[in-house]
Amino acid sequence: MVFGRGRAETEAGAADEFSAAALELLDAIYGAALRLTRRPDQAQDLVQDTYLKAIRARRSFTAGTNLKAWLYTILHNTWRNQRRDGARARVEFDSDIVERAAEGADRVFAPQVESPETLLLRETIDPELQAALDALPESFREAVWLRDVEELTYQEIADALGIPIGTVMSRLSRGRKQLYEALTRSPKSP
Amino acid sequence: MTDLTCQQVEALLPAIAGGDAGEHAAAIAAHLAGCAACRQAAAVQVTARAVLRARAAHLSVPAPPGLRTRAEAQLRGSRDRDALGWRGRFSAFAAAALIVMVIGSIALPVLTARSTVLLAAQLALDHLKCFAIDGDAGDAHITKPEAEATLTREYGFTISVPDRNPEEGIRLVAVRRCLYGDGRAAHLLYLVDGTQVSLFIMPGLDRPAAELNVFDHDQIVWNDVHNTYMLVGRSGRRGWLQDVASRLRNEGK
Repeated sequence: MVFGRGRAETEAGAADEFSAAALELLDAIYGAALRLTRRPDQAQDLVQDTYLKAIRARRSFTAGTNLKAWLYTILHNTWRNQRRDGARARVEFDSDIVERAAEGADRVFAPQVESPETLLLRETIDPELQAALDALPESFREAVWLRDVEELTYQEIADALGIPIGTVMSRLSRGRKQLYEALTRSPKSP
Repeated sequence: MTDLTCQQVEALLPAIAGGDAGEHAAAIAAHLAGCAACRQAAAVQVTARAVLRARAAHLSVPAPPGLRTRAEAQLRGSRDRDALGWRGRFSAFAAAALIVMVIGSIALPVLTARSTVLLAAQLALDHLKCFAIDGDAGDAHITKPEAEATLTREYGFTISVPDRNPEEGIRLVAVRRCLYGDGRAAHLLYLVDGTQVSLFIMPGLDRPAAELNVFDHDQIVWNDVHNTYMLVGRSGRRGWLQDVASRLRNEGK
């Protein structure tokens, strides 16, 4: 969603426009939070903190840019800070180490690629897909979710995550590949 | 058209799947035509993206109604504060609260395990923060069964919630969960004779009874065999807060 193309007449009007647009995006932001935390209670807390910060920083939002990407940037930074500061932080299969480890395996492929139609015909594709997404390293999961579910551009993802576009592409590629492998490894595969 | 190497094509795989390879499209197509490995890698990308796009709507979970209500209250509160103008926004209390919250968010989570004073500081911050989010409840009142059900369903707490008849001046307006150094606290937000008061219940925590004054707030601590309780209100009405604590303690048993 691009918010603020029309210039608000007044400060109150701008605030109302911002509020309405932010509320419209609540499902998307909650979905992203749930994908990050993998726990509904943590996701709710994360979304509330995100909206609290967004409200405080509202005047720094640039009208005409993508509000969803802006909110996601706050969400990502809030989550990163919470994990860094809190006792909940754990060693994750994450970051550049995973990317480098994945490097060697990237050119090994199954002999035949299943078509999207074959996968989509499965009755259990949704839970399988959820599980496959949740099993991805966080950095890959974020990139895949933002691009393929939320349809953010590469540049918007790079800005939100604070990484170069090349890294976005790399995480996206490896995330999709691991996702595909998880789906085709499933015992429900025909 | 420049020939591309497998490495170059590999770097462009996400764009191929998204159909946005742009100026490279022709060169990529030529490479894929002659390279089975890259063709297969591209097919994996295309398949994964196609499946995700096809099921995107089913992967997204709607925000719970309670979260939507709280977000609406946050946004509405922000608009109302804006209407006060800069004098209202930058009142001494708001500035002090902000400083306290910023300092607290940096230093306190790692320290609260060490002293009741620091725990009191952490919970004073949560008192301010949660009332900023959920304090605008209008005439709403949450009953004891509703509060206990919400705490169990949304946060996994099984605890007895004190409650009083709103006509007696004690009104439960929201329940939340807060994190502190040792774990999780159930946060009950009350309006007592119109004044904001928080009761934090910390299951499994054993802290001695105490009365404190931290961060411009009074705190009263008591415990039973299961929980430690901390009641938090603004400074200056210690006797009144003790009376509130007494009423809630009797009701909570």
